[in-house]
Amino acid sequence: MGELFARTCAAEWTRLWSVRSTWWFLAAAWAMMHGIALMAGVSTAGQPDPPVGDPAWGIAPIVVLPAQFALLAVAVTAVTAEYATGGIVPTLQWTPRRSVLFWARVVVTTAVATVLGVAFAFTCGLVGWVAARPILDLEGAGVLGTVAFVLLAGTLLSVGLGFLLRSTAGGLVGVFLLLLVLPALLPQFGYEWLTEIADVLPGTSAIFLLTEEPSGRGLTERGSVVLMLVWAVGALAGGWARLVRDDAG
Amino acid sequence: MTIEVRGLTRRYGDVVAVDDLSFDVLPGTVTGFLGPNGAGKSTTMRMVLGLDRPTAGSARVNGRAFAELRAPLREVGALLDPGAVHPGRTGRAHLRVAARTNGIPTARVDEVLAQVGLERAARRRIKGYSLGMKQRLGIAGALLGDPGVLLFDEPINGLDLDGVRWIRGLLRSLADEGRTVLVSSHLMSEVQQTADRVVVIGRGRLIADTTTGELMRGLGARVVRVRTPEADALLEALRGHRVARAGVDELHVSESSSAEVGALAHAAGVPLHHLSELEQSLEEAYLALTGDAVEFAGHG
Repeated sequence: MGELFARTCAAEWTRLWSVRSTWWFLAAAWAMMHGIALMAGVSTAGQPDPPVGDPAWGIAPIVVLPAQFALLAVAVTAVTAEYATGGIVPTLQWTPRRSVLFWARVVVTTAVATVLGVAFAFTCGLVGWVAARPILDLEGAGVLGTVAFVLLAGTLLSVGLGFLLRSTAGGLVGVFLLLLVLPALLPQFGYEWLTEIADVLPGTSAIFLLTEEPSGRGLTERGSVVLMLVWAVGALAGGWARLVRDDAG
Repeated sequence: MTIEVRGLTRRYGDVVAVDDLSFDVLPGTVTGFLGPNGAGKSTTMRMVLGLDRPTAGSARVNGRAFAELRAPLREVGALLDPGAVHPGRTGRAHLRVAARTNGIPTARVDEVLAQVGLERAARRRIKGYSLGMKQRLGIAGALLGDPGVLLFDEPINGLDLDGVRWIRGLLRSLADEGRTVLVSSHLMSEVQQTADRVVVIGRGRLIADTTTGELMRGLGARVVRVRTPEADALLEALRGHRVARAGVDELHVSESSSAEVGALAHAAGVPLHHLSELEQSLEEAYLALTGDAVEFAGHG
């Protein structure tokens, strides 16, 4: 089993890097994150009352918040492009054990999106630190752990949704709705029940973990972590069930 | 190295695409898988490859379900839909992924690319390939693991004359090497040229499972064509046979042989100018077989 899983992961690695969309999405994430970090650093340096001694890593969650969607798009399209092109047919001919394919894809795409996202966030902190020199500090890098968790849970959710919906448009819209649009929109209507729905969406948790907003709605760090994991596991379970039980596509 | 299909059935709602189908595909032969469009050929192949779930019955390759194989490319090579590939990958990258999934050395990728004549296009993205090139890429993928069992769904679609000739030779040589080859087609003439055996289906059901020669001989009787200046006398001599008059001096005798007709003519003292057996083409035999199956398709 180990050898089969290892070579399936190796194939997934080649599969991921041999299409241009992966490179484009990662380039977009990189440019967006480093552009924002540079601007944040420069504007920090230009403030009349600069926050001397603040950790430069505080930039990381701010740049990840918008750029995570480019990283999640890598995960969604890694799954759904196969359904759009029909490539899932040869894929399942080569790897007919569907659970093996499922977990290899989950592991490889999640690892790539998370590791690169955290690496980008790290260099963004350095960019901000250099741009704002000598105001910011390089202490307190623990926030990168939060960034890693949010990206990990978001990627798992994206891969699961991709397998469940089998559509690039559907997957991307689903990720946007759950992680950005609905958490931001629902509380705006002023109905308490809509806000309560927003509070159990994964996007609210992700935003809270990254920014500690919204405050005053009783959100906790532990609760947000659990909620994101529940969403990720739920999406993975649904995606796995569809892959294993349905026709190839 | 066999494919065994047993009671294979697939329903989509009320529609029965494949209906209690059973047949074997044996090593060392090219088996043609014939049927009109929509007969269930592709669905059957997808079930053999574990892509679609049977409603009932089973398909086994080398005695096992395809989905249980750990390195399927080394046992079964298949080409279903040559267009079902990511267009953004190069042909070579596509096959490298395939090789990795089954632990096949990547050197083999370049070998099969050369074998199908794609080495010059190997580093180009598949979106620029013609249908014929995609067919060749798919065949390269099927050959990658040097498998003993091969399945091809309509492999000559999109190929030019050279390509068609190449496929025929390839199928023949694969079977001659002792491999098991199943190749579907709706073109009878194609199968007539390449297949040793034929499995004919219509509306998801088995219609015939026999050798190509037997299909042509046994189905729809042979017709003996005979010309004589004394046609009326010969008609008299052939009383009891099914005879059609095809001209002033020409008769067509069904369900007989030239030996029989010649002997009868000799006994009756009728001179013959021409005596031959009309070879029925597989196409005619096939149409006779599947006529009903096609006829009812419009009502299903």
